[in-house]
Amino acid sequence: MRNLSSKSNRNRKWIVLFLTPVGVLFVAFFLYPIVFVTILSFMEWNGIEPMSFIGIGNFRYLFADSVFRTSIQNNVIWALSAALLQIPLALVIALILAREPRGWRFFRTVYFLPNVISLVALAMMWTALYNPEFGLINHLLERVGADHMTRNWLGEIETALPALIFSYQIYIGYFMVIILAGTLSIPKSFYEAAMIDGANVFQQEVHITLPAIRGIIITAGTLAVAFALRQFETTFLMTAGGPANRTPVMGLYMYRRMAGLTYGRAAATGVLIIVLGIVVLSALQRVFGKADAVEDARQ
Amino acid sequence: MRRNLLLGLLVVALLAFSVSTLFAGAQREAAEREIVLTWPSIWVGQDSKADVMEEIVNEFNQQHAGRIRVVVEPQPDYDGYEDTIRTRLAARRPPDIFTFKLSPTTAVYYSGDLLMDFSADLGRDGWGDTFNQGNLNASTMGGATKSLPYEIGFTPIWYNTELFARAGIDRFPQTMDEFWEACEKLKAIGVVPTSQMTGGTNSWTSMLWYTHFLGSYGGPDVWERAWDDRAFEQAAAIIKRLYSDGNTTRDAIGADAGVSSGHYMNERTAMFINGAWFIGRIRDDAPDVYRATELAPAPKAGNYHGHQVGWLHTNLAAAHTDDPARREAVVTFMRHLTSPENAKRVSLAAGSLLAVEFELGPQDQLDPLQAKFIEAGNQAEFLIDHMEASMPVDVVYELGQALGSMVLEDRSPREFVQMLQAAEN
Repeated sequence: MRNLSSKSNRNRKWIVLFLTPVGVLFVAFFLYPIVFVTILSFMEWNGIEPMSFIGIGNFRYLFADSVFRTSIQNNVIWALSAALLQIPLALVIALILAREPRGWRFFRTVYFLPNVISLVALAMMWTALYNPEFGLINHLLERVGADHMTRNWLGEIETALPALIFSYQIYIGYFMVIILAGTLSIPKSFYEAAMIDGANVFQQEVHITLPAIRGIIITAGTLAVAFALRQFETTFLMTAGGPANRTPVMGLYMYRRMAGLTYGRAAATGVLIIVLGIVVLSALQRVFGKADAVEDARQ
Repeated sequence: MRRNLLLGLLVVALLAFSVSTLFAGAQREAAEREIVLTWPSIWVGQDSKADVMEEIVNEFNQQHAGRIRVVVEPQPDYDGYEDTIRTRLAARRPPDIFTFKLSPTTAVYYSGDLLMDFSADLGRDGWGDTFNQGNLNASTMGGATKSLPYEIGFTPIWYNTELFARAGIDRFPQTMDEFWEACEKLKAIGVVPTSQMTGGTNSWTSMLWYTHFLGSYGGPDVWERAWDDRAFEQAAAIIKRLYSDGNTTRDAIGADAGVSSGHYMNERTAMFINGAWFIGRIRDDAPDVYRATELAPAPKAGNYHGHQVGWLHTNLAAAHTDDPARREAVVTFMRHLTSPENAKRVSLAAGSLLAVEFELGPQDQLDPLQAKFIEAGNQAEFLIDHMEASMPVDVVYELGQALGSMVLEDRSPREFVQMLQAAEN
């Protein structure tokens, strides 16, 4: 009994020892910033002079600002596009590649490639493609006689946000790889049995693959929505929130407040991004059920 | 037990070794007494001042070898550079040496004791006399000169005389009627009249066009007026027209400075605005356009004419320090960098206009376009600051959005001004 107790104490020491570095990092780089940002969101601060407490003044300012409201709306559109466009596309490609057609490894690499290319470089490439004067898209439209369809894709109110979202679909490879890994881990015998029973490819995918990788799809969807909620770089690099304040997202709005040395407003925006993230991701879990990466792996 | 003891001794020995090494290093550093100053600099890479700046810093390091060493941290992205400086100041860790654009927003950097005050040093040995006194005064607040004026922004209208001649225009328009007539003639030969842009952080080219016309309507003190002054609206009406009827390129909404200048260098547009720092770039990348370029003030739109847009473009600053030796090292470097000889080198090599005054000798080869800049500056009736130097950052950011809204949603110039005003609050 004494032996057991001393062994347990020794284990506890090791547990504490191993958890301490992670705990310190968690407190320093996660907990402390969140607490600081939350406190700062109730302050007026230009980054140089002392802070002053202003209650909910920053939040009141944000909700009175139409650009901020547009930013929330755009973040929601980005999140929806991730859930309804990016994941289904990634799923379809993963299901096709999982059948291992000729050259599937090559296509898997091609689809994943954008994820290892600098986001700035890709943004520049897309900006050039969309350019109305010398961009490839308008050039192709002109070549096929569709001159009337040429646009200033990033400079017109109707097309700017869709153009941004379209350009972002290049990242489907990331989710495709996650889903593909799950799909390839399904035992082949399931499909063989289904074929003996006369199930066609579509039926196999619907009745075997999709239920088997449901957890993985939810995980990928959650990640895609989380990425969309923290969207910043693509918008910043390609439209900077324009034209006419039609494409800003909350991350960009926060950045601008920092550039204007209104750190309290920036912090309040940050707090609302966190709140929105918690609300959206909780709602996703509630609707689609729990998706646990470890659980997925066990499947 | 013995193994644990040995392990413990090993750890103690390792610690002792590390501490002694550190101690020895610190002693050696103290003995050498070399002061290292870090300078995150934007004048690197493709910047027209990069080469000459590198030479100047290297020469300084050689002259002060073993005592002072300036280490340049290259940061070629302008917006990123400003972000870095802002963040480091907020974290109360300013770089030893850095540059910034003095504006109503950045003027707050002068608060507290973050920046070094050069006012006492400027009085020594006539150092302060080498600067343009107007620029020096503009950099002095409450008696403290916490940054040194360095580069001056001066942005007349650039126009391509060959394209003008081809369109049958023999001189730069003096009135708005002449200006619109010239635009029509240029369009008739397939040339887009002006480069414009709403992208970037400040809608650079269009901000300068707007400021030119604002000066014509409001005169030298226009930035001191309230937003309901008619001048803001009248200048906006001209900008709206410049964005319409093919008076600018199709990609102007959303375009950045690279696109805007690219059109001028490719002869797609006939008029463009930028500063003298662009001379090096156009001379190298578009020599024909460089040779065809002349400079002019904006046509007369209101009661004023012949003015130019000119302001303090870049100020040099340093972190405040209580260490007298470090302080002296910073001042020594600043004096080296802003000496008339080095200012002349920078100016001649890069085409920049500087706040440091220097004499040109007969052997000095002044760039022809730079000479035109100087001439345009001398002939200017008055100078006005551009919007970025006169308004908070939030207003400058909003300019591109307000322009987009006015053009794409057909908002009135009054509504355009209201958007800017709202951004200020």
